[in-house]
Amino acid sequence: MKTMTFATAATLLATTAMADVNIGNPMGMTGPIPDLVAPMAAAVDLAAQNINDQGGMFADGQAFNVVRADSACDPVAAVDAVTKLINVNGVSAIVGPVCSGAAIAQAESVSIPAGVVTLSVSASSPAITTMEDGTDLVFRATASDAYQGVALAELAIAQGMTELAVSYANDDYNAAIAAVFVEAYEGMGGTVTANEAHEPNKASYRSEVATIGASSENLALFSYYGSGGITLMRNALETGAFTNFIGADGMLSDEVIEQIGAENLGTTTFTTAASDSSTPAYAAWQAIADAAEVPASDPFVPNSYDATFMMALAIEHAGSADREAIAASLRAISSAPGEIILPGQWAEAKAILAAGGDINYEGGAGNQDFDENGDVAGNFSKSTVVDGAWAAELIQ
Amino acid sequence: MWEFVNYYFIPGLVLGCIYALGAIGITLTFGILRFSNFAHGEIMMSGAYLTWTVMAAFTALGAYFGFSDWALHPLIAMVPAAALVILIFLATDRFFYKPFRKAETIKVVMASFGMMLIIRSAVQVIWGPNQITFVRGIAKPNATLSEITSNMGLQILMPNKHLFIFAGTIILVVALGYLLNRTRIGKAMRAVSDSPDLAHVTGINVDKVIRATWIVGGICAAAAGVFLVMDTQMLETTMGFRMLLPMFAAAILGGIGKPYGAVAGGLIIGLAEELSAYPWIGDTPLLSPGYKTGVAFAIMVVMLIVRPQGLFKGRSF
Amino acid sequence: MEAYVGYFLYLLSLLTVGGIYAIFALGLNVQWGFAGLFNVGIVGFAAVGAYTYALLTTAESTFHLGGFGLPLPLGMFVGMIMSAIVAAFIGLICIRLRADYLAIATIGIAEIIKLVLKNETEITNGPRGVNKIPRFWEHFSEERFYSSWPMSWFGTSENWEAFFDKLPNWYWQPLFAATILLIVYIIYRMLERARTAPWGRMMTAIRENEPAARASGKDVTRRRIEAFVIGAAIMGLAGALFAQHLRLIEPTNTFDPAKVTFLTWVMLILGGSGNNRGAILGAFLIWTIWSASELVITGSIGLISNIFSTLDPSFLQTRAGFLRMMLIGILMQVILQRYPEGILPEVRPASPKADNNDAGLTGETK
Repeated sequence: MKTMTFATAATLLATTAMADVNIGNPMGMTGPIPDLVAPMAAAVDLAAQNINDQGGMFADGQAFNVVRADSACDPVAAVDAVTKLINVNGVSAIVGPVCSGAAIAQAESVSIPAGVVTLSVSASSPAITTMEDGTDLVFRATASDAYQGVALAELAIAQGMTELAVSYANDDYNAAIAAVFVEAYEGMGGTVTANEAHEPNKASYRSEVATIGASSENLALFSYYGSGGITLMRNALETGAFTNFIGADGMLSDEVIEQIGAENLGTTTFTTAASDSSTPAYAAWQAIADAAEVPASDPFVPNSYDATFMMALAIEHAGSADREAIAASLRAISSAPGEIILPGQWAEAKAILAAGGDINYEGGAGNQDFDENGDVAGNFSKSTVVDGAWAAELIQ
Repeated sequence: MWEFVNYYFIPGLVLGCIYALGAIGITLTFGILRFSNFAHGEIMMSGAYLTWTVMAAFTALGAYFGFSDWALHPLIAMVPAAALVILIFLATDRFFYKPFRKAETIKVVMASFGMMLIIRSAVQVIWGPNQITFVRGIAKPNATLSEITSNMGLQILMPNKHLFIFAGTIILVVALGYLLNRTRIGKAMRAVSDSPDLAHVTGINVDKVIRATWIVGGICAAAAGVFLVMDTQMLETTMGFRMLLPMFAAAILGGIGKPYGAVAGGLIIGLAEELSAYPWIGDTPLLSPGYKTGVAFAIMVVMLIVRPQGLFKGRSF
Repeated sequence: MEAYVGYFLYLLSLLTVGGIYAIFALGLNVQWGFAGLFNVGIVGFAAVGAYTYALLTTAESTFHLGGFGLPLPLGMFVGMIMSAIVAAFIGLICIRLRADYLAIATIGIAEIIKLVLKNETEITNGPRGVNKIPRFWEHFSEERFYSSWPMSWFGTSENWEAFFDKLPNWYWQPLFAATILLIVYIIYRMLERARTAPWGRMMTAIRENEPAARASGKDVTRRRIEAFVIGAAIMGLAGALFAQHLRLIEPTNTFDPAKVTFLTWVMLILGGSGNNRGAILGAFLIWTIWSASELVITGSIGLISNIFSTLDPSFLQTRAGFLRMMLIGILMQVILQRYPEGILPEVRPASPKADNNDAGLTGETK
């Protein structure tokens, strides 16, 4: 019964902040990939901090609160967490679930029936595109795997890899992107010599690497760095099974350089859904992220910032924290026509909106224009190690 | 041929050594305390984290005194870490397992399941959920070894870390054999494992035997954890749980309650996991690597059904 | 939306999920509480039930096998049957094993079931899972249901669409929760009957003193397999309801042993194993604690960072989830030690020869 008292107390705590703008932020704080999620959560907080530092929401400067919950990359936890966010915390919208499975489950089970907008930061499964039936409630700030897989296949061809072996972690994200990649790559005339799943989080991948390594010099690796990707790559380098590596953004992290060593990564290229540092949007993002010591180019970290920032812009545009108007506003603030708004330019955006003007947010992770399915088409960059750090360059 | 040895057989043995050391603790706990300790994997993991902490503290100390190159070898840092692991074991036994000594087995198994959650979450709260680099870089094969072997017409490629793991496992297993066969406490442990009631009647101090079990299990668990991170070169918080079921499988394969059986079982499970991906027939892996984890489970289930007493006949030790 | 509606809906979701867990706990009670079978593979049966239901009832899909679009009750029923068949197969080969071994075998089999679901991509869509699973009551507002029989007998598609537009968008929640509570009640009544019937008393006899039961001519193995299969069928049904509640299932994280198997065990042990009412009570209680503890912890972090404004709450936030896990673990340890019989201890069914000796017998179970 003590717990019940506590629960009531916590509920009261949660509702005292009613006058402010609250958005729910379910993130996979626990679960299989907490180390990827921690910098993403930091980026969400950074966006909220930027907004509050620059005058907060609406004319009376209400605070923009991020109510965090743990979705654990797990449909069960995500559904429960979002139920609480929507019903108990009374949030205006959801910026969150990290993993596609959790994002789809929470959307279909809770947020779509409740009429709440979800803007996912990193759910990239192609299934999200086809998920909705006539409701305009699910958006995402990251490109579908369908785009990145193709971009990576083009990159492989451009680098002169006519044949390669594919190894992908058997999880929702990596299995999906590997399937798209293989189809695109074979369509472009490449030969896939071996295509094997590997179980995430094993202590050793030497036998897998040796088996598929017999077939090719080139490895297309689809894995999270935090759940086996680094181990697999290390095993591949130790045994000399592969010389060239390409992969998608699950592997793109400073952690890879930290653990494997820049001197061993000379022949490695990973793609990521981000603009290169030459665009002003990315430069603006990088400046903010570096100042706050958030890793700017880690997977989905810019997307997390963009998603939070756009959600705040949408609520500002809608003029109230009511749930109904947010979806339309989200489209309005993210695409042309309008004054271009870069990451961190909250005060400028607020002034334009207050004057009745239009804005068009361009984020660190891309231009963030939603199509009719609420998807964004990504720009992709390839990252290679230069002077001991990842250097991104736009591919077209 | 040498590809098979270097990329399948030796990695299989390395994994097997780690499973074997973990399975020793599980099988001893089962033999003497009569329950399956689900927290064993987490103890392994916390041993590795403690070792890393000792190493980091040592390096920091060196930096404080102006020696920038102080570094402790994990095998040395393991000693104080193992002592702490033993303390954790003894404390959990005192507070969470001992109250159920006379109760149904399920209660203490549930308690160990709870300990698994508590220890893992505690590590995640203290050290954070992020991966930690244990050793940077990649480990190239030991040049001297490959030169000597290639002069002999062989071609063995092994990095130093694997040599350490093999040597450490052999030393620990030999020491365990000495303990169980030559010392008083070891003989008492065997007696309790064979028949607790009889042992009690003959005046063996059962509490002392239980303490000895935790100490032996703790040393082996800490070593298994450290060897695992020496091999993977990184620390993360779920590695203990992922090793748990293969270790159970090893303990069952060897016949539960039999430390040597556990060692053999560990090696077999380790080899089976790695060899399942060998292209025995044609060019593709015999079993899709996606099913690799299942190999240990399948062996375990089949053994339980066909031969629950384990591979080896005879008495406990 | 009014805050009170929100609280009401959250309460309903507690009842819904608590009810699903209560069904799991009742199934486990048949296996452990009645027959003493130590099943730690609950996720395996849940996954079989959930996937069977999902594949049979979803609309046709290119991602996975079928989408056969069958009626929902049929999907749930077949889910139960599939789970029972798997259990019968496991039971025939594993039931002889002693307690701990059976536990380890069931864990292993559950993991193998999950691996199969994950790797047989053609059938299950692999790690990406099956989505758009129809949920009871809510599914009536989907076009493919109201445009076909039997709903099309009572109104045209347009009429139905207009009808559902008029309802609040959460209309199905109370109905879904009520349906689950009804299922819990039905299973409870059936199990209570079974428990007090000769079958239940025989189970108790087998559990408490197997040699004696065997000596008096009871077919011990057969009874045990029966209990195992019935329990698994109930778990399969719970799995199907779980799939409805989540609307997406995938093999890795949905069927996480720590959150399905372990929680169910805690619920049963806390409530009182062997007592059906205890199992239900434990399920609702533990799920409420599990779910509400997040609110408590988030609230506390907010409070702490308000009081100590210099403190950076992000450190606490990233670790709060783990702290919660730890507290649940500690709670369980306390329950195990302080209330070893559970909140509602087992009550022996009155047998024709019941007398005071009964009390003496319960003390020495091993």
